[in-house]
Amino acid sequence: MKEKNRGLGLFTLLIYLFLLGPLVIIAIASFEPGGALKFPPTGFSLKWYQNIFEVSMFKTSFITSILVSLAGNLLALLLGLPAAYALSRFQFKGKNALNAIFISPILIPGIVLGFTMLKYVIITYNLPVYTALLLGHTVIMLPFIIRVIASSLANFDFAVEEASLSLGAGRLKTFFTVVLPNIKSGIIAAVLIAFLESFNNVDISVFMTGPGISTFPIQMLLYVENNFDPTIAAISVLLMLFTAVLMFLIERLMGLSYFTKR
Amino acid sequence: MAMLTLENIAVAYDQQYILKDFNLSVEKGSLISLLGPSGCGKTTTLRLIAGFLEAKDGRFTLNGKDYTRVPVNKRNFGFVFQSYALFPHLSVYDNVAFGLRLRKVSKADIDRRVRKMLEVANLTGFEQRFPKELSGGQRQRVAIARALVIEPDLLLFDEPLSNLDANLRVNMRVEIRRIQQELGITTVYVSHDQEECFSISDQVAIMNKGIIEQLDAPSTIFKYPKTEFVARFIGFNNFISFDNRQENGREIQLQAGGHSFLAIQGEGRGAQKGLKGAVRPDDLKLGTSDEIDLGANVVTGRVKVSTFLGRSYQYVVNTELGEFTVNKEMEQPYVSGQEVRVLFPVEKLILVE
Amino acid sequence: MKKSYLAILLLPGLVFLAAFMVIPILLTVGSTFYHESRFTVEGYVHFFKDPYFLKIVWTTLRVSVITTLLCMALGFPTAYYISRQNPRRKGLLLALAIFPLLTSSVVRSFSWTIILGKKGLLNNTLLSLGVIQEPLNILYTPTAMIIGLIHLFLPLIIITLVGVMENIDSDLVKAAESLGASRFSAFCKIIIPLSVPGLIIGGILVFVGSLTAYTTPALLGGKQRVISTFLYQNAITLNDWYLASVIATIMMVITFIIITLMNKLAAKLNPKGS
Repeated sequence: MKEKNRGLGLFTLLIYLFLLGPLVIIAIASFEPGGALKFPPTGFSLKWYQNIFEVSMFKTSFITSILVSLAGNLLALLLGLPAAYALSRFQFKGKNALNAIFISPILIPGIVLGFTMLKYVIITYNLPVYTALLLGHTVIMLPFIIRVIASSLANFDFAVEEASLSLGAGRLKTFFTVVLPNIKSGIIAAVLIAFLESFNNVDISVFMTGPGISTFPIQMLLYVENNFDPTIAAISVLLMLFTAVLMFLIERLMGLSYFTKR
Repeated sequence: MAMLTLENIAVAYDQQYILKDFNLSVEKGSLISLLGPSGCGKTTTLRLIAGFLEAKDGRFTLNGKDYTRVPVNKRNFGFVFQSYALFPHLSVYDNVAFGLRLRKVSKADIDRRVRKMLEVANLTGFEQRFPKELSGGQRQRVAIARALVIEPDLLLFDEPLSNLDANLRVNMRVEIRRIQQELGITTVYVSHDQEECFSISDQVAIMNKGIIEQLDAPSTIFKYPKTEFVARFIGFNNFISFDNRQENGREIQLQAGGHSFLAIQGEGRGAQKGLKGAVRPDDLKLGTSDEIDLGANVVTGRVKVSTFLGRSYQYVVNTELGEFTVNKEMEQPYVSGQEVRVLFPVEKLILVE
Repeated sequence: MKKSYLAILLLPGLVFLAAFMVIPILLTVGSTFYHESRFTVEGYVHFFKDPYFLKIVWTTLRVSVITTLLCMALGFPTAYYISRQNPRRKGLLLALAIFPLLTSSVVRSFSWTIILGKKGLLNNTLLSLGVIQEPLNILYTPTAMIIGLIHLFLPLIIITLVGVMENIDSDLVKAAESLGASRFSAFCKIIIPLSVPGLIIGGILVFVGSLTAYTTPALLGGKQRVISTFLYQNAITLNDWYLASVIATIMMVITFIIITLMNKLAAKLNPKGS
């Protein structure tokens, strides 16, 4: 029995080596002083980290990504919070179908979403790049916002809401004074998760970036097409740190159990 | 004069009626319980009174005012929930003050009334605690204090004690009754626990499938159930179907399968209608042919099963008129197959519809 | 009153999705049947007659199937191991699986170029160990795509399965053992059947993800096209929007068929009944 456990443990260790090894390798390789990415590195240097800040497109595309993610998040929250509340709070006909529609942007291929939006929204109405990015990213953030908030509302006792009503508060007042404070951390977690989804998105952005305006991941893809220097490795390290911080916040706010639910 | 009245109320979910032509009236200042199995409509009735549900038809008035279309938050009723439904993000003090703040009561008045209420509910010293830092009984008292502090016109309880352990339940129901009588506030109380309802209420309504089977004082229901459903619900589990009945003054003569029975129109029990006799297992007499003479109200049968209950034995006796369950205290039990006689005492034989 | 209340809450989101997702998709699908002012299915006939296009579809499907099967095979034992650890270790292992999932796919796929390249870590190691004489050609092949996609989606199936396995009452295995089952046969008769729905949901996620992934094939696939990169190429580089629309429709149809079939399978294999 112990024997089998050890075998399984070893197997799991190898799997984790496979999952995390490449990330460790890219982190170590980012300190390569030479002009070509190598592992193991031939020395230690921070010059490629410096280089990130010297390529102006990285700076502008980073700002674009942050702005699009934040604005899209706000919009997705305005649209998604009421929907998540309605879907969690009430029983009504067609609820399952509505749920499916709201979650569908996760299942529809991103590349198809991007293309169809480009063809029938952006070009048809001749929308500027920023607007296009904002709309596209809102579409993909919406299901995450709704799912995470709904899972937070699943732990909320709606009798509390009725208690507030019976004590004299109206529906809107009840929502803001009783419901909202109790799902606050769920909402913040939803915003963070949606933010990561949007910030890392490639397959929708790739259709919407225009001349001189692109998002950060698209800029990274463009860069590696022409360069094999360790700049991208350096960026990767910074992005991983950034991801780790956000993930830590999500864990503090609502635990990680959301991710294991399907 | 009735203070709360429901007239011809109908409630439906998706074309399915839960209540239809439902009527109820409650005296001012009294506590009425709605009791019944799950799905009987008791909670629906309560939620309708509270305003969480809208009546499809009918009228609900309180003190002569029509409340049928008044929204929940304009009713000024206190509601105590099964899950207590305390605001998790507010302290005990803020939970109790919630309703007063909405009523734009002055700060000083809020403070005075909240503290007074917490005193009544034995919660002084817990002002700054949060709900999750309280025990079940304390939460329950906060819930009651929160509902009472707004000086509600009506107090509603939805199975308020079902999440508490047995000892606490007994203490809390005494507490609820004390506060309710002290403040003289009309109260509707829903539970599926008989003992709880009977001990706390002025009147009990036994409900079944959306109708009230019987509405009476607890002791009346306990002694004189009107229908077979009520009788079964409160523990009468021996029934005889009679073929005919004849009234002779206070006496009622009955026939069942060649056996003759006698029942009586007792003091305060009202007219006994119906052709079904009901008796509790504790009230039946059991004996051998030496102990019980043949005659009216006696049936002969054989012991089918005997079970030791601790203080007494329980027998299932098979007779010509069906099986009867009898509890009897004795040293030496009867054995299976033994011939016995069952006596239905005249004053314990209740006729139900 | 309640209906209008629901509408206020739900309509903004629905209208938004309708305008920017549902209608564009329907118009795209419609446009493939109505080309140059007449009804036609020519786009599809043309597509399925062209061996180059078919090869792309075939490669994509093959890569996705292999990725899915390997993810299932590797993920299942790992998830089982994780689900049986104490809460602290379980939490740590889950966090370490979720972290890559939240990390940019560009970073994750790019990291494999350092490992799989001609002068990459793998070739260098194997050469210096004398296992091979010539460097292996892995990068920019379907194999590299499969490796990258497994790396991308394995955590997804692991955490999905852990979620399902956590909910299997551990007393069930003990009950089976008390009835005479060995630890192994208890595993086969209890854990595996009860995990099947999770395995299939995870499988759907991996398969659809692999089928539609863009970044990984773009970075690791080299000249080897898959449906998603082919769609992008036609839409943006070649400006053949009609063909791009046909590809988009085919992609959605395949996705839809896969999801439906696997859901049916899940319902059929669900030991608790559907």
